[in-house]
Amino acid sequence: MYTVAGAGDSDLSPAPFNRNNSYNGNNADREHNLKRQEQSMAELMSSSEFRVAMEDAFSGTMAKDASFSRAWAAGKLHKQHFVHWATNHYHYIGPFGDYLGLMYANTPDHARDAKDFLLQNMYEEELSDDRHTDLLIRFAEACGGTREHVQDRNNAMPFAKGMQGWMYYVSGRENFVVSSAALIVGLESQVPSIYRAQYPTLINKYRFSEWEAEFFDLHITSDEIHGERGYQIVLKYADTPELQQRCLHFVREAADMRFAYTKALYQTYVEPDLGPWVEEDEREPALVG
Amino acid sequence: MPRIYFKTADQYVEFAEGDEVNVLRVAIREDVDVPWRCASGNCGTDRLMVEEGAENLDPPRRRERARLGELVDEGYRLACQTYTRGDVTFSWNPDQVGLDDEPGDGDGAGSRTGWAGTG
Ligand code: FES
Repeated sequence: MYTVAGAGDSDLSPAPFNRNNSYNGNNADREHNLKRQEQSMAELMSSSEFRVAMEDAFSGTMAKDASFSRAWAAGKLHKQHFVHWATNHYHYIGPFGDYLGLMYANTPDHARDAKDFLLQNMYEEELSDDRHTDLLIRFAEACGGTREHVQDRNNAMPFAKGMQGWMYYVSGRENFVVSSAALIVGLESQVPSIYRAQYPTLINKYRFSEWEAEFFDLHITSDEIHGERGYQIVLKYADTPELQQRCLHFVREAADMRFAYTKALYQTYVEPDLGPWVEEDEREPALVG
Repeated sequence: MPRIYFKTADQYVEFAEGDEVNVLRVAIREDVDVPWRCASGNCGTDRLMVEEGAENLDPPRRRERARLGELVDEGYRLACQTYTRGDVTFSWNPDQVGLDDEPGDGDGAGSRTGWAGTG
């Protein structure tokens, strides 16, 4: 169960995907009703209640559970699949500095700690060491891709472009607390759980060097801290029931967006090679034996 | 439940059995005053001496080894880069700054470990 939507959000629909990578319309209807009930009952939650509600809001649709992530962690993907992943990921997170810049402009001066966090996050993405997109391209090149291929927008799925557009929308148009909930809590805080499962496979199975796979190593740890700071900012500044509810809605929506995007990576690039994704423990014995 | 003892702040934090937790994230979440700045393994501000429980920590990866150098062999870890799955005890110098920010002029405050007079 999760809580979504604030006043005026009647057009916002709940998650259509469940964690088994399948569409589930009945659940969607049921959750839509729950949303309406909870909306009318909303009160200001305590910090600890609100944190648990945010964690619950994305726990069922985390991108680490999407087919592409599962196949990656299981070592089933080929290097050309990684090139496609890197290309799409570039168009999804490449403008992260832009998103943060829009959020920065929308953050009032009295929330100085939030502004400083956004500025620091921006600096780390772009300038503090290797530019993060350069680390991503380094990985793509280690898989046989090229910088030109990765940077060419024509090579990205519509889902990746949709993800980018959604990020621009949320960062540019929503209250800074809501966009922090969406981009930092809903998306960035998921990253360590995804890459901690994928990184050992890259090193141990595919034999990438730590240098080639540095993009993942860096984000495993830095996004732990960014995610935690994001939680703190949302907990501090979401100080009305309406803001809390809207944050919860956008945490949920962010998780749904990333899940759907990650699932689409599998369907677009991997399924033609390997067939539909089936968990090891769900395969017929003859297939896994 | 396993626990992290932040000795310098005299604070314990417990976490669920079976979890692996990032040390700096836990410190920030629980308001433990561990010094830090970049969270990316670049600055070295968050170097901690592992007093007990080193066997419960993830081995250091490339960024951490590169940043700490010989300090790894002396028992230091970067809080932002370190995960633990069991009991561990850390200490640090509350006044320490980044490894590239220290004056290093022999006055003690500039020691690479951050401990005045011990570097
Ligand atoms: S905070 Fe800079 S290295 Fe950990």
